[in-house]
Amino acid sequence: MRYAIAFVVSWLLAVANVSAFSYIKVLGVTPDFVLIFAACWAVVRGEPEALFVVPVAGLARDLTTSDPLGTSMLAFVPIVLLAAVARQQVIDSDFPPAIAVVAAGTLAFGIIQSLVLALTGESVAVWEVFLRVIVPGIVVNALFTPIVYLPVRWSNPRFSGLRGSRGLASPYS
Amino acid sequence: MRLIWWLATVLAVGLFSIFLSEHHATDPAHNLSLTISAPIEDVMYDAVHPINNIYESIADHGDLVRENEDLKAQVEALKAQLAQQQNNDSRIQALEDALGIKQTRPDDKLLAANVLAQDPSGQKRMVAIDRGTGDGVTDGMVILSRSGSLIGTVDKAYSDYAWVRLITDPDSAVNAQVETSAAQPGSSNDVLTGPSATPVAGSPTPSPTPAAGLHTTTSVRGVADGDLRQGLILDLLPPDAVIAKGTLVVTSGLGGNFPPGILIGNVKDIQARPQAAFKTAVLEPASQLSSLETVLVLVSFKPANLASP
Repeated sequence: MRYAIAFVVSWLLAVANVSAFSYIKVLGVTPDFVLIFAACWAVVRGEPEALFVVPVAGLARDLTTSDPLGTSMLAFVPIVLLAAVARQQVIDSDFPPAIAVVAAGTLAFGIIQSLVLALTGESVAVWEVFLRVIVPGIVVNALFTPIVYLPVRWSNPRFSGLRGSRGLASPYS
Repeated sequence: MRLIWWLATVLAVGLFSIFLSEHHATDPAHNLSLTISAPIEDVMYDAVHPINNIYESIADHGDLVRENEDLKAQVEALKAQLAQQQNNDSRIQALEDALGIKQTRPDDKLLAANVLAQDPSGQKRMVAIDRGTGDGVTDGMVILSRSGSLIGTVDKAYSDYAWVRLITDPDSAVNAQVETSAAQPGSSNDVLTGPSATPVAGSPTPSPTPAAGLHTTTSVRGVADGDLRQGLILDLLPPDAVIAKGTLVVTSGLGGNFPPGILIGNVKDIQARPQAAFKTAVLEPASQLSSLETVLVLVSFKPANLASP
């Protein structure tokens, strides 16, 4: 059931990303809510769920954009690995690791997407893309993380008793 | 170990999907996804568009007064140009009649399409429309705005939908030409080309040196490229070409991928370096590409499908 919900939510976010959210331009880029959702889910829910939800979120994103099918699936792979590292619980909260995974995941996504686009014959101006798309994307996605992180955290049964903590406390404390 | 197997599987599936996608094998999946998501996208678009307009109005308020003044000045200038244009039109008509040439294309067949989605990736400038191969839309077809200016070309046509590559996309290149009236030599008016304007490899068409007191139409050809930073630039212009800001830029028709004479935009800024082989102009697209609602597919024009310039 939770996987079905994750798929539906990521698909709806992907649809919203190409329609309603495409008008939100901060620093010249649109926040990627699918990537943020995948990263937050991976950090909050853990590796077993991330192994399924992250590629499926990538697939949902690919089906709604003009990228070749499989691009986002590949480009989201580092999110699972980054989340596994972030869940080592060095910090006593999931929120900073979620922001770190979103930021690092955006960087990895931008690089892998550029590689795929270049390999499929699109022209990619490396520095332009890095300075005008990837770097602003890291900042903007990190800024929008709380909007997605809090619902993902509240929907997790592991945290259901911690709502009074406004969602930023660790279940381990 | 599980992670390694997962990694290998996802990489294999991802790469195979990209391969299939490049060979159009995944087009039905894309078409189905757009079919399901189109009504939701429509609702979301309608819900957000008025809010977006208000946001843009507030954000741009500071520029509106200045823009209004500029527009008034432009209207005056255009009225003057229109008067001259009417005179030129009658002369052109007479010449066409004399030569038996029909330059305009009254038989153009246009297909209206709604814009459904905008690619969220910052690396591309593409929009999805609700027309596809089932409506006669094919890859490479030219897309115009409601007012007839150039929007882009069809990049991927599915059975019911298509992705359109806008002219501001970094992969877009349109053969273009700048049309203007060159004033008499020595005049302080805007002049398009210098007297020694030399064509680049068969592109610009230099006109005879204008006689004193006469206005003559000249054209300089270049390539309108999409650019992530500046939106749209006109590249490969002769270094000695003198182009006035505000000059209209149209398609030249070279290469056969676009019909000639379609408005692309106007010159916003000119960038020239003393030793540069070519001059570059920054263009302002004639259409507001960030808030497209309805576009027209030029179905009667079949592109030559030549490689981009």
